[in-house]
Amino acid sequence: MTRRRRCAAAIVTAAALVLAQSAPAFAYLKFGVRVGSRQIALKWAQLPVRYFVNDQSSVPGVAVSDFQAAVGRAFAQWQAVPTSAIAYQFGGLSAAVPGQDDGTSALGFVNKPELERVLASTSFLVDSQSGALIESDIFFNSAFAWSVAAAGETGKFDLESIALHEIGHLSGLGHSALGETELRADGGRRVVAAEAVMFPIAFASGSIAGRTLKADDVAGISDLYPDGNFAGDFGSLSGRVTKDGQPVFGAHVIAFDPNTKTMVANFTLTTQGEFTIGGLSPGPHIVRVEPIDDADVESFFDTSRQVDVDFKVTFHDHLVVVPRGGDSGVVTVAVARK
Amino acid sequence: MHGPNPRSVFAAAIVAAILVGPAVHATVVLPADLGDLSRDAIAIARGQVVDVEVRWADDRHSIVTDVTLAVESYLKGGLGPTVQFRVPGGELGRLRSIVVGAPEFAIEERVVVFLGARGPMVPYVLGLSQGVFRVSRAADNSGWFVTPPALLPSAGRTVAVVRGDVNRRPMALADFERTVRALAAGAR
Repeated sequence: MTRRRRCAAAIVTAAALVLAQSAPAFAYLKFGVRVGSRQIALKWAQLPVRYFVNDQSSVPGVAVSDFQAAVGRAFAQWQAVPTSAIAYQFGGLSAAVPGQDDGTSALGFVNKPELERVLASTSFLVDSQSGALIESDIFFNSAFAWSVAAAGETGKFDLESIALHEIGHLSGLGHSALGETELRADGGRRVVAAEAVMFPIAFASGSIAGRTLKADDVAGISDLYPDGNFAGDFGSLSGRVTKDGQPVFGAHVIAFDPNTKTMVANFTLTTQGEFTIGGLSPGPHIVRVEPIDDADVESFFDTSRQVDVDFKVTFHDHLVVVPRGGDSGVVTVAVARK
Repeated sequence: MHGPNPRSVFAAAIVAAILVGPAVHATVVLPADLGDLSRDAIAIARGQVVDVEVRWADDRHSIVTDVTLAVESYLKGGLGPTVQFRVPGGELGRLRSIVVGAPEFAIEERVVVFLGARGPMVPYVLGLSQGVFRVSRAADNSGWFVTPPALLPSAGRTVAVVRGDVNRRPMALADFERTVRALAAGAR
């Protein structure tokens, strides 16, 4: 059974029994920037996005050419999403260093030993008048061991997987809460499954499980840069979450399509506890609401927002039909405190 | 602000005559449980934030925030009655640098921070926001609690982290500190 199918089966079973507490989820968030009094999505105004590779970007086992090829494959995967217009162009090798605001979007290794648990990071420069991106850099922390081997290498992190995640950020996507973790007997925590490349916690070193975009990633990039008949072929599901009659902020809401076995999700993002999940395949969906009480909340929301994590996992009491090219209409889910 | 005219660092970008707005960062992290943090920290301090200063980093290429904590108690180590640590990002003039996953601090808030340091550098928070726990008063004024709910080590067995687990709730400060002291002393 594939991981996706296993995840899907898990959530269906949970829905049927109405008692399960754990199932993987799928979600996407977009970066937002304030332009005047408006909050708008952070995205590239002009395509293709032109990027450069730092010409000193090598670590043991990864030559500059290897680096260029690995990030090139990651860029190509995002660009291949058929419902998205996102496109990238390799500009060549450059002396530009990631993190320097020089008008050049650069990718490369930088040694950051003090960021002892950060594998990579993306930075942006933004036109504050339009909200459009001017430049975006990605650094990969050379304090870690890296690999570009086709099957991965024990003890080394897969460059292509991490690049795929960071390029999602570079394109304007925030983190997803779509992952499942476990605490290990010998200490530490590891990812068991992630149904979104944009899940903020990396798979363990040696794993190449993060090399493939998931349904949630596709929905996110298609929502940001729609192409073809994305709006007409897909639909959305919207509603609100309440607890004791009051709106809940930061609840993770998952829409599972039992026909396609895919899930996409989002969060309640307004003071009224409202959510909208876009990019859904038409048809019935199971709706699950859960707290992100296992997460580093600050990697999803800024600290000024009070995210409510004190409630139980709750399923909507009936299937919700998502129309082609339309919205489900408001779905209200009442959750109970723990 | 320290050092000579750091705005010149951004000259190249501003030459383009484009208003430069917020800088945003995003990260991929390795997760840490409370045992990892307690073991790896050189100092664990509970205190109140008394100063937050945004400045340019020494390399003049990035914005950082220096946070000063008036220490009430050390759960591990000791760095004096006040301790200053650095976090990436911050807002300086019209520039705002945001590191997704990096903690932000407000004056007067109470926190427990797990600090690391390498050589002569200013201490930093372990694991970005993973190394920060906010201390707040219970809604019914019954005592102090720590958020977010801590992920405790699994006590010798592998366990799934389950969302919505009724047992994972904000921990009373006294219980949290007792647990951290034990973990810092070597318990798992």
